[in-house]
Formats: sequence, C-alpha cells, structure tokens
Amino acid sequence: MKTAEQYWNPILETLPREQLQKLQLRKFQNVLKWAYENSKFYHKLYSDAGIEPGDIRTFDDIRKVPKVEKSMLRGIQGREPYPYGDILCVPLEQVTEYHQTSGTTGQPVFQADTWQDWEWCAESWAYILYAQGYRNHDRVFLPFGYHTAIAFWQAHYASEKIGCEVISGGVLNTEARILKMQELRATAMMATPTYVLGMADVAKRKLGIDPAKDLQIKKITVAGEPGGSIPATKKRMEEAWGAKVYDHIGATEIGAWSFECTYQSGLHVNDALFIVEIEDPDTGELITEPGRKGKMVITAFDRIAQPCIRFDSKDIIGWSPDECECGRTFRLIKGGVLGRADDITKVKGVLLAPTSIEEVVRSIPELGDEYEVLVTKKGDIDNITLKVELIPGQESNIDLVKTKLVDQLSLKTNLGYNIEFHKYNTLPRYDVKSKRFKDLRHKE
Amino acid sequence: MGQEYNIKGMTEKIQAIKEAATELKHISGGIQAVDRNVDRILASVKMLEINISDIANII
Repeated sequence: MKTAEQYWNPILETLPREQLQKLQLRKFQNVLKWAYENSKFYHKLYSDAGIEPGDIRTFDDIRKVPKVEKSMLRGIQGREPYPYGDILCVPLEQVTEYHQTSGTTGQPVFQADTWQDWEWCAESWAYILYAQGYRNHDRVFLPFGYHTAIAFWQAHYASEKIGCEVISGGVLNTEARILKMQELRATAMMATPTYVLGMADVAKRKLGIDPAKDLQIKKITVAGEPGGSIPATKKRMEEAWGAKVYDHIGATEIGAWSFECTYQSGLHVNDALFIVEIEDPDTGELITEPGRKGKMVITAFDRIAQPCIRFDSKDIIGWSPDECECGRTFRLIKGGVLGRADDITKVKGVLLAPTSIEEVVRSIPELGDEYEVLVTKKGDIDNITLKVELIPGQESNIDLVKTKLVDQLSLKTNLGYNIEFHKYNTLPRYDVKSKRFKDLRHKE
Repeated sequence: MGQEYNIKGMTEKIQAIKEAATELKHISGGIQAVDRNVDRILASVKMLEINISDIANII
C-alpha cells in the first residue's frame, strides 16, 4: 500500500501527468522570462532567434527556444562579471557558492549559485535520498574529499535536510574511511561506482574486513559514472557491500534530475523540478516513445543565478516501457545515461558505447573490477586493446576467461579486441570519476 | 493524493511567513545579523513555494 510517508513530497510526486505538464509549462515560462530579463547572454540568444518569453504558450512551443551547449558556457566564462560572464542573472553580491564541472569533456564550466539556489540543490537531492529510503535514523558516510565538484556537497546538505547524521570522510584515506565507517556503524554512504568497488577491494585485501559482514552499510547512492545502472556492476557492488545500491544522475550545470527509488525499476526523472526532452541526435525530432534512444535536452526550473534552459547535455537516454510500482508519476528512463553523443564513437566503422564493454567485463566473476580500453590506429586500421586483471587465484583460468571475453564482446559490440591480462592491482585505480576508455587515434 | 492535503491553507501560511520575514528585514535598520538570517528564511520559504504554493491553482 502506498502511503504519504514514502514520498518526500507526496503531492508533487504523485501528481497526475496532465497537472504535472501544466506545472512544467508554467515553470518553463517563468524561468525563460527571468533569464530573458536578467541575463545579457540569454537576452541576446533569444533576441537573435526572434523569441520573446510571451511566444511560449504551449508545451510544443518549448521546442522553439534555442538550446544551450557546454561550449557556449565555456565561451562566456572568464568575462565580466568575473568569472561567470554575462549569463549571470543576479548581482555577484548574491552569489554564495562556486562550483565547477569535473572537466571530463574539456575545460571545466563554472557554476554560480545563490543561497536560494543552494537550498534548491539540497531540495532536489532530498527527493532522491528520501526515495532511496534515507531517514533521520541514518548515519550517512561521505567518503569523499569535498572540493570544487558539486555532487557530494549537495548530498551532504540534503542528508542534513532529511535529518540524517552526516559524517564527512574528507581527507581520510581509503583505509581510514573504512575503519571510521566500521567504528561509527554508518548505515549509508555515497560514492562513484568505481570507488564503491575500490573500497570493498581495499577493505578485504588490506584490512581483512568484509564490508558485507563487518560493516553496517545498508544503502549506497552512486553517482558520476554509469555503473549504477549497469546490471553487472550493480550486482558486484551490492554483493560486495551486502547493501542496496541506488543510482542517481545529475550535472553541475543542471542539478540532480534523476533517481532510482527503492523499487529499482529504472530512474525517475524529477518532473516537478525539471523538464527533460529526448531528441533524435540526427534529426532533432522529439522522442516520446519508449525504447528509442536519443539525446537529452534539459531545463531546471528554479535555479536563478545561472539558469540552464534547454541545455543540450549530449547524454544519451531513453524512456522506459515499464512503470514503477512506487506510485510516483515521474517518468522513468531505462538504463540511466547510456553514453554521450560525443562519447559513442565509431571504431572499425561500428558504433561503440563504452558502457557495453563494462557490462561484459563486470559480468565475468574471474575478473577484477578494473579494466582499461585503448583505441589506436595503425595506418587505416583501428585497434582496440582491452586490459583486464584476473582476481588472485584465477590465473589458471586465463584461457577460459579470454574465450568468454572475446565471445561476449563480439556479441555485445560486434567488434574484435586485443585482450591483455595484467597482474592484479596494477591497472590505474580511481577515487572519483574513472577514465577507462582512451581513444588515442587523434593523438597519433 | 493532492486532494488529501490542505494546499490552500498551507499556501496562505507560506505567504504570511514570507511577508513577515520581508517586513522584519524592512525594519532591521540594516543589522546584518537580521538581514542575512532573513535571507536564509526567504530561501527556505522559496522551497515551500516550490513544493506547495506553485501547484495551488493547478490542482
């Protein structure tokens, strides 16, 4: 039975779709007007396109509004008002938070927030954590050195908002973090999938601690990488920790727009705070049907210092054909972010999504968690090298594992690979976002 | 589920908090300890508006 207690906001989260769409249209009109009137950047963008806020009267009109790309944001920053440039909608005196993107796809983008924006960031995360079962009896451990990246700051503030007790693992090293979690009997934590697996490995190898038996972590929220929505990776994390692992997706410029709830049926889009459009990457056609993948264009409604309106995220997502039993009317996407439009690359003439390789590697139990993919070019021929590690004790199974890898990679990606086995614990380990896919063709 | 809640009543109270906080700032005489804390109250009030008031005339 669905009860109000299972939702952060039972009104918004169960609002009938028709009413949600009315709310979205009105909020889109409001943020568009705000940006047009308060940001020189947006005013020029819309004026050049012949768009005024009053032109947006229907849901379909939203698609007339010009999109914003990360390259445009990079182009503005560094100018006055320094360092954000004229996208800023408030005086600098009202900015209380500085953060920046991770720089995975290029020069980091700066993000300004007012205190109200910061409250909103925590609010959007509160929807996520509450849906994942975080409550005021939880002791939440954040094994993360807080710095200019935004995600775990927001998680910290949202945990406090819910009433959880929050422990910052900040400058501790991995061993010390694990011991502190054990000492304080932490019940929940948040990290990237890479680090969740890395911590379990360190706990077992270096400390003789089995996180599934010796710690009391019962739920883990992951972010920053696709692993939380890759079934084989999720299974590894849940088994290693004896905990439920929930995915969430957010971005510095946008906010925390999507989350998995305790039913784990896919990721809900927070339709009350954002509007997500999925469009065909080639034609720009709006995709509404489930199962077809496209590029996400997203707007956050209530972030006022540096709004992101129709942001072309380049993330590839697709609507789910399933419905979640949780009772939320927020739409579901299937499989999380399936790749990036500029990440899905052609190798040997075949489109390759790096997430497909992760799914194969992590589904083979004889292999360790780490791997690396190098794409190189010799003459006109592309080559893919996959570096993996056998877990200790599995060395005699090398031929069997190689056969499994070759067969499954061929099936999933239609490509052949040079497989290299490396000694356990010799491939790079990452604490935050991993860089396992390296396309070196343009550098040769 | 929206019908089960007194959205109109909550919206009126949220508006009253907003007006009271704004009025407090007007009479603070520029005391930073008042003004800055009012700004924080108003940021929280905005979250109440997002969660409740913004849907008052949609439901």
